[in-house]
Amino acid sequence: MKKKIIAIILGCITAFGVLSGCGQGVETSSTSSENTNNELVFVNYRDIRDLNPHLYAGEMYAQSMLYDTLVSITDDGYEGCLAESWTISEDGRIYTFKIREGVTFSDGAVCDANAILANFNAIIENKERHTWLEMMNLLVGVSAPDENTFVIELSEPYYPMLTELGCIRPFAMISPNCMINGSTKDGVNGYIGTGPYVLTDFVTDEYAVFERNENYWGELPAIEKITVKVIPDNQTRIMALESGEIDLIFGKNMLDADAISQYVDSEKFSVSLSEPTSTRHIVLNTTNDILSDTTVRQALQYATNRQAISDGIFYGLEEPADTLYAKTVPYCDVELTPYEYNADTAAQMLDEAGWTMGSDGIRQKDGKKLELELLYNSDSVTEKTIAEYLQSEYLKLGISINIHGEEEQSYRDSMKAGNFDMVFNICWGMPYDPQSSLAAMRAPVYGDYAAQLGLADKAEIDAAITEILTTTDETERQELYSFVLTRLHEDAVYIPLTYECNKALYTSDLQGVHFGTDQYDVPFADMYFQ
Amino acid sequence: MRRYIIRRILLAIPLLLAISFVCFMFINLIPSNPAEVALRVQQMPVITDAAIAEMEEMLGLNKPFLVRYFDWVIGCLQGDFGISYVNPARTVAGEILRSLPATLELAGASFVIVLVLSIPIGFLCAVYKDGWFDRIMRGTVFVSTAMPPYWVGLLLMWGIGVKLGWLPTNGSGSWRHLILPAFTVALSYISTYIRLIRNNMLENMKQDYVLYANVRGLPQKAIWVKHVLKNSMHTCIVAMGMSIPQLISGTIVVENVFSWPGLGTLCISSIFNRDYPVIQTYVLLIGVLFVVFNLLFDILQTVSDPRLRKED
Repeated sequence: MKKKIIAIILGCITAFGVLSGCGQGVETSSTSSENTNNELVFVNYRDIRDLNPHLYAGEMYAQSMLYDTLVSITDDGYEGCLAESWTISEDGRIYTFKIREGVTFSDGAVCDANAILANFNAIIENKERHTWLEMMNLLVGVSAPDENTFVIELSEPYYPMLTELGCIRPFAMISPNCMINGSTKDGVNGYIGTGPYVLTDFVTDEYAVFERNENYWGELPAIEKITVKVIPDNQTRIMALESGEIDLIFGKNMLDADAISQYVDSEKFSVSLSEPTSTRHIVLNTTNDILSDTTVRQALQYATNRQAISDGIFYGLEEPADTLYAKTVPYCDVELTPYEYNADTAAQMLDEAGWTMGSDGIRQKDGKKLELELLYNSDSVTEKTIAEYLQSEYLKLGISINIHGEEEQSYRDSMKAGNFDMVFNICWGMPYDPQSSLAAMRAPVYGDYAAQLGLADKAEIDAAITEILTTTDETERQELYSFVLTRLHEDAVYIPLTYECNKALYTSDLQGVHFGTDQYDVPFADMYFQ
Repeated sequence: MRRYIIRRILLAIPLLLAISFVCFMFINLIPSNPAEVALRVQQMPVITDAAIAEMEEMLGLNKPFLVRYFDWVIGCLQGDFGISYVNPARTVAGEILRSLPATLELAGASFVIVLVLSIPIGFLCAVYKDGWFDRIMRGTVFVSTAMPPYWVGLLLMWGIGVKLGWLPTNGSGSWRHLILPAFTVALSYISTYIRLIRNNMLENMKQDYVLYANVRGLPQKAIWVKHVLKNSMHTCIVAMGMSIPQLISGTIVVENVFSWPGLGTLCISSIFNRDYPVIQTYVLLIGVLFVVFNLLFDILQTVSDPRLRKED
């Protein structure tokens, strides 16, 4: 009987072997092992979704592959895209664009001023959705006097106008044939643009295939075909890269510092990190009784060891941040004295502010304990880790921090309503920083407005931000930026922690991987295989 | 008997209504404004009051709670579960129908693996009780029950997908993609059914009919297969039937790990995206599946077991 059992077990093993080991190599639609040096397999954590460029639901990297805007934002400034050139009237209100000739959508439709006008009309029809862009509020009208000229008129000058026009959404151009009765508000019947790639196939939540647009008006990209696979799980993405099923992982939230650190010295895979894209920081609510005192807020700045957070939590991959915006952000290279970590200075400042050490190790003033609540997004492990670290560090100085996590929506609601003492936040990032994020500080849309309400110079700061947006004088604009950034820095409303950066992990055969001016863009057009 | 079946079906109706109400209520109890959530998941950089008001009207959120609930229930009965917040161009019913076949494929394959492995192993464990095979299998069952599917999945992916390169680590499209996720889902059920079959067989072996069969001189193999195994399978079949909705709902984590494009992946991505209409429908669907399968196998058991009919 024992022989029979052994025979059965061997049978099972053989059957499993037959099932699983019919052949070596993995059978996928396109893998790096099958690469003919012109196919790239990219991965994203979710589906491309609705790529209607006039709405906000789709993945921006995919929209950038399909569509073009009037102008492009590059490291060297603005460059013509669908508009070959442009002029701005002396009063800064009227923009006249000369539309590039000979450009067609991938369905053959001509992309002239009339097609661009049709796109703008569709965008304006849904204006309420786009009023977060100041230019939509200032827009007087658009017109196409002839097929090569497109005109935008504003009610007053607005300097970030070209930056906003360079945003892939909502100002990317879709073929008028895809519009439903001239509208894109309620959906489109195709994703046809003038961009370097065309969408040829997609299966929801599985993959999307983009092929090179052979009629692209610009320089043809080297990669002919890009397959985007959907892999929601972090670990699975890494394993798929290891097994050769994908070639590139790209994005801020696609890789954690731990995973990146494993591949820094790898020969098989390469790691790239971008310049700072946005700043991770803590917002202090100045309407709070304790935090209304500038000295206390400044003491918290000195009590925060940014280098330790950078080294201990981000393995040095995110640089410690000294200011709300990195110096690489336009207009933000302002001379500000950083609050260098110094626990003694912090303790001395708290003493001076009247917060003396109590017998229980917590500082007190007029019978009130120095207790604050730090709110974080419970979906973010990083924020929780930083919160726990700060809790223990601040306690050494007699500051009691209660950390409190809320799920993302609730966290955002609390932030917007100003229901926090201290809260984690991240700047908007490029290309929206600094102009759009500063503009948003003037209204109760994020936590900044509520947090700044206790500042004596809040009205002055808001007025300066409004002036920044409308001034046409470059020197004056820089002076105003310097004023606003200096005030916010000295008011110590924000505790900068680290500069977040974009990350890429890819097979070493892949070349030309770099980071664009838009943090959500993946510059596929510059990539090629060695 | 007929009266019993009709009574059970009628009792299921208020239960289904209660499930639908709970699904709807819990989603609506979330303090955030769903219109704002919808705009946020559509990645609106700044959410203005005008945009919220427009979205509220579009989603019918300006109506009273009960009106919205009955609208939703009537819609559900007509197959209209609303639209997805993440992608307003897609309906929830469309999303569920798109994902369901992949989940059924995975659950079906797992079910086959469970049957193919648990019945012979359970049988052998009972026949060779306390032998080396039984001891090894008992140890294996103990370990595999304790291992979370997420971890098992990653381990299999690493070993078989990355190190050996035998099978793809993720995705779908061929039978090769199916093996790792199906085996991962099946593993915990295999352990359960091996124990169930083994224990049932051991119980049956103590019954008088086995003694009489032995006295009559029937071959031992025939007694085990034709009588003991057959009688032990009664309870197992009901338990296995009940595990079908469990298998469908239980694929949620494994699907996500293996990027299997089924209901589980849809549910997880909807949870992360706060796509409330999809989450609501998923919970309702799973609740309905449990009620229906419970009812079905209760009736089947009553039909197949004369003792239960008598009691009724």
